[in-house]
Amino acid sequence: MVKGWKILLEDIKKEKLLSVANLVIMTITFLVLGLLIYIVAFSQTTLRTLEEEVKVTVYFKDEFTEDKIKALVDELQKNPRVRDIKYVSKQQAYEIFKEENKNDPVILDALSPDILPASLYVRTKNIFEVPKVAADIEKIDGVEGVKFFKEAVERFTQLSTIVYIVGFVLAAMFILVSYSVIIATLRTAINSKGSEFEVMKLVGASDRYVVSPLLKMGLFFGLVASVFASLILALSTYLILQAGLFTTGVQFGFVQEIKIPLWIFTAIVSGTLVSSGLILGYFGSSAAIKKYLKY
Amino acid sequence: MQIEYKNVTKEYEPGFKVLDDVSFEIGAGEFVFLVGPSGAGKSTLVRLLIREEIPNSGEILFDEESVLEYPKEKLSELRRRIGVVFQDFKLLESRNVFDNVAIALEVVDAPVQEIQNVVPNVLSMVGLTEKMFKYPRQLSGGEKQRVSIARALAHEPDVLIADEATGMIDPDSSRDVVKVLEKINSLGTTIIMATHDENIVNSLKKRVIRLEDGILISDKKGGKYRG
Repeated sequence: MVKGWKILLEDIKKEKLLSVANLVIMTITFLVLGLLIYIVAFSQTTLRTLEEEVKVTVYFKDEFTEDKIKALVDELQKNPRVRDIKYVSKQQAYEIFKEENKNDPVILDALSPDILPASLYVRTKNIFEVPKVAADIEKIDGVEGVKFFKEAVERFTQLSTIVYIVGFVLAAMFILVSYSVIIATLRTAINSKGSEFEVMKLVGASDRYVVSPLLKMGLFFGLVASVFASLILALSTYLILQAGLFTTGVQFGFVQEIKIPLWIFTAIVSGTLVSSGLILGYFGSSAAIKKYLKY
Repeated sequence: MQIEYKNVTKEYEPGFKVLDDVSFEIGAGEFVFLVGPSGAGKSTLVRLLIREEIPNSGEILFDEESVLEYPKEKLSELRRRIGVVFQDFKLLESRNVFDNVAIALEVVDAPVQEIQNVVPNVLSMVGLTEKMFKYPRQLSGGEKQRVSIARALAHEPDVLIADEATGMIDPDSSRDVVKVLEKINSLGTTIIMATHDENIVNSLKKRVIRLEDGILISDKKGGKYRG
């Protein structure tokens, strides 16, 4: 076992340039894969943050009393599409208005507390639900009107869908590309020793003897390259947090409620890269070596 | 140890027989020439014996065991019992003479002490003790071939096959290589030498098996060959 690793280190020393070139290619591949996952997560998180700001504003007729509004709030809170509701009474609306226009006494004099309607601000769990929730509320007796930025919501909805789908398709494609790059890289390293394997087989080496150092080489390159890539990602995480970005975490995938702290997200991505490095290293070298075992 | 080819036929492409119903036996300790022009099927016979190739029909027995029925994991064992020397030497340019021979023992995880003992012994047998730490690029063709023979001898094989072993070296070096092979044969190892060099064949007066277009034409003790 130890001897196999010793042979591997000797081989790396003998072929310094090729080994460094292979490590660089594999590190860049893993790094690009990691950065792509980051970009998808960051763009999804940014979109989600913006989505959360989108709300339906509901205005009530004067005869719709505060009791009725509170009953409606209770009912809406049971609606699975609704994230949260904020009630603003006529008095609170007047106070807000006063605060916003405190430098304009003419307007303030012209307005009495009764004029402004009570309202609800309803946020949905998902931006796609905004038009549906608005339509449902509008049908209720006593609702004077509902308001939401319809066009903005529609554009946002389209953009979100594109980011989710394109992000995942890109990540999936890049995983395939990474696999091909890593196989090709390992094959280059193995082919450079092809004549040695041929001689080993001819003088009676068992398949295990020939395969073992190559599998170790695949594991070694996969591990070292993915660890390097993970370290660079960890440094990026540190810089992002230092810049005050994504301090509350990131959202990834289609599960919307969970926000993952950025360091934990980095650890998950690094863990995924290192496991992929080991798996790709092992299977990549197994695939590349097959042709030397045919005789 | 006996080698037996029984009605062996080999086609690399359908309809093109490289060997056609070839049968012969080689006994322990024999020195046999396999002769014939290029493409006669000599190298194919060698490759079939170490199961680098599989025949389309027929059987090959090595020490009464069918080579075709050897399990894959036992093939390395078979190849250690049959040393092969090739026309192109198959030496590793990055290793010196000692290491090129040592590889044969390294692949079976031989202890360092054994490698240190065996390698100088076999190099002495082929007359290359002085060149132990030279690299292949520093050797003549004949010397390279003797390194290749030393490597084949490291496992003390029952049979040593020289496949066109003198094909890429000058006549003087060829004679040296043949002398080494005779010496090894005198110590009890069976030698099979595939060649189309009539000078070598005729000077040694050993058994000659002649092939042409994959067909066994003659098999004579003390035979001669005219290419």
